[in-house]
Amino acid sequence: MAVLDRMNSMFRRAPRWTYIALALAFALIFPVLEQYGVIETLWLRLGTRTLVYVLLAVGLNLVLGETGLLHLGYVAFFAVGAYTTASLSSPRLGYHWNFWVIIALAMLLSMLFGFFIGLPTLRLRGDYLAIVTLAFGEITRITFNNWESVTNGPGGIPGIYAPNLFGWVVDKPGEFFYLLLAAVIVVVWLLNNIKTSRIGRAWNALREDEIASHHSGVRPLQAKLLAVVLSSGVAGLAGAIFAYYQQFINPTYFLFMQSTIVVCMVVLGGMGSIPGAVIGAVVLDTTPELIRQLFTKWLPDAVGADFLPGVQTALQQDFDRYRMLIFGLAIVLMVIFRPEGLLPNKLWRREVHEDDPRDQANTRQHMFDAEKGAQDLEA
Amino acid sequence: MSDVVLDVHSATKTFGGLKAVNDLSFQIHAGEIVSLIGPNGSGKTTTFNLISGVYEPDSGDVLLRGESIAGLRPDQVYARGISRTFQMLRLFSNMSVMENVLVGMHGRTQANIIDCMFHTPRMRREEEVCVEKARAILAQFPGRFPESRHDQPASSLSYANRRRLEIARALAGEPKLLLLDEPVAGMNPMESMEVMQQIRDLKEAGHTILMIEHDMKVIMGASDRVIAMDHGVKLAEGAPKDVANDPAVVEAYLGRRGADTAS
Ligand SMILES: Nc1ncnc2c1ncn2[C@@H]1O[C@H](COP(=O)(O)OP(=O)(O)OP(=O)(O)O)[C@@H](O)[C@H]1O
Ligand SMILES: [Mg+2]
Repeated sequence: MAVLDRMNSMFRRAPRWTYIALALAFALIFPVLEQYGVIETLWLRLGTRTLVYVLLAVGLNLVLGETGLLHLGYVAFFAVGAYTTASLSSPRLGYHWNFWVIIALAMLLSMLFGFFIGLPTLRLRGDYLAIVTLAFGEITRITFNNWESVTNGPGGIPGIYAPNLFGWVVDKPGEFFYLLLAAVIVVVWLLNNIKTSRIGRAWNALREDEIASHHSGVRPLQAKLLAVVLSSGVAGLAGAIFAYYQQFINPTYFLFMQSTIVVCMVVLGGMGSIPGAVIGAVVLDTTPELIRQLFTKWLPDAVGADFLPGVQTALQQDFDRYRMLIFGLAIVLMVIFRPEGLLPNKLWRREVHEDDPRDQANTRQHMFDAEKGAQDLEA
Repeated sequence: MSDVVLDVHSATKTFGGLKAVNDLSFQIHAGEIVSLIGPNGSGKTTTFNLISGVYEPDSGDVLLRGESIAGLRPDQVYARGISRTFQMLRLFSNMSVMENVLVGMHGRTQANIIDCMFHTPRMRREEEVCVEKARAILAQFPGRFPESRHDQPASSLSYANRRRLEIARALAGEPKLLLLDEPVAGMNPMESMEVMQQIRDLKEAGHTILMIEHDMKVIMGASDRVIAMDHGVKLAEGAPKDVANDPAVVEAYLGRRGADTAS
């Protein structure tokens, strides 16, 4: 019996590891494909940006998915990380600090920032938390926009030096891809460990029922702060590497829209699921580009040059707007057809399918019995 | 007496002008099952909330084994040894049965963030012990939580099993005092009797229990003592039979006219 159980769980677990191995293998050869001209540099650049989003999505999942806090200012922490790199590794202020020091400092600063923003706001619930975090996100961006002496305001900080990791100078997209991939692997590993520990359970319990978790010994404010601080650290890390990769940053990289996009990635992937957050980021970041290529290149190439010329020029000239349109469409379709997300946490599904007949029957039964109980007492 | 576990001492709690609990005093002794009864809105749940740290009494005190716990937060009260269930079932629906019980041990476990990040041997050992304990607790509800259900979401359980799981979660806190707010509410008579038996078994295992109940059979069958209250005031206290026949209690439930016809 035990043997059967073990085999059963092995079979169920096997595919999961297979998927992870396949995804890793694909990611590992991806830059090599570009080097040998199998894919264009465009795709490698897209892949690198996607990895930044993957970091952000798994980081935000901690707060939004695991702990159930609607945090709409996540990009602020990304910005703190990015500006740390830009300030300490560019001609702007004349510093050229060590990569590791900058990464550590970026994470530390964004975590501190998360702590001080979290402390007052995490007492708020639901809509209020969303509004206040949104405002904090915007305030952060506006601060960077106006703090000319350090950030050079809207002009941004150009000329960010390439990082040097023990002698490895990372300056090609493929190298950044590997650097980010390593960061993703480490972060996912650590976060998955926490998720499957008493702390991760406490977060989930808070999400499910704050009062009951408080009566089980969880300290809500403390646990929420921890989630916010850790996720801020992940965003800071992503921002720091992003600034190195981009070599130039200005406040327009940190618009509210970015926070929304990451929220969409977590929701689309499946809240409270790390693989979900990864898939959500990959799908949402690559689909618009795939659609653009499809209409401006692949289809015209296949069908003939005059294929839908209007669509073609629109997508070429105004892509950013259409990107949002595609985003919106993806989310709407998702909410209608698969509200639990692409790769949901296996226990989560019922939450979104409220039409469970048993729940209703139970409620009726409950009310009926409660009345009966009162009658019994009188009798 | 030395075996007093809980001592509620002239506790009062007002909401606006309403005295939900009014100068209420009672004691619970080790190994007892005491039922708190009273009509709807009489202040029973508010009393639980005063004991478990949801509210601080406006005046009066709550002592657990002689130490004041009034004004402590729920997690602190839990740490001192009081676990509770809720009138309106509060489970972690999208977490597994096992996880629900494990959360009940949260305040009894030590692994810190570094342990959790790296799954240190210390953390893994603690985790194993917790899972073993949780299995043992779930096994106290024979046939209700077979191993195959441990990884099912709590929301997939039947209503009665969800209420049982809530009790299991409370037990996971290794409480000195267990507060059960209407443990059989919404159950059919057979399920009620089974839960009543389980509550008795808990007593046999050495637990001290204060429960709010409306079901007369359960009150009569399980409790050593009954405390009746109305409008926040204690009406009567004593053996189940005596309290049930107390004129003040009958009047509280049936109103003046009912009391007249009953007499
Ligand atoms: N947070 C609150 N704010 C205002 N009034 C409250 C609050 N909690 C309880 N009350 C009021 O206090 C009184 C006692 O409520 P409580 O919930 O303690 O009653 P109960 O004895 O548990 O009743 P039931 O049998 O219906 O559960 C009620 O009149 C209720 O409306
Ligand atoms: Mg009540």
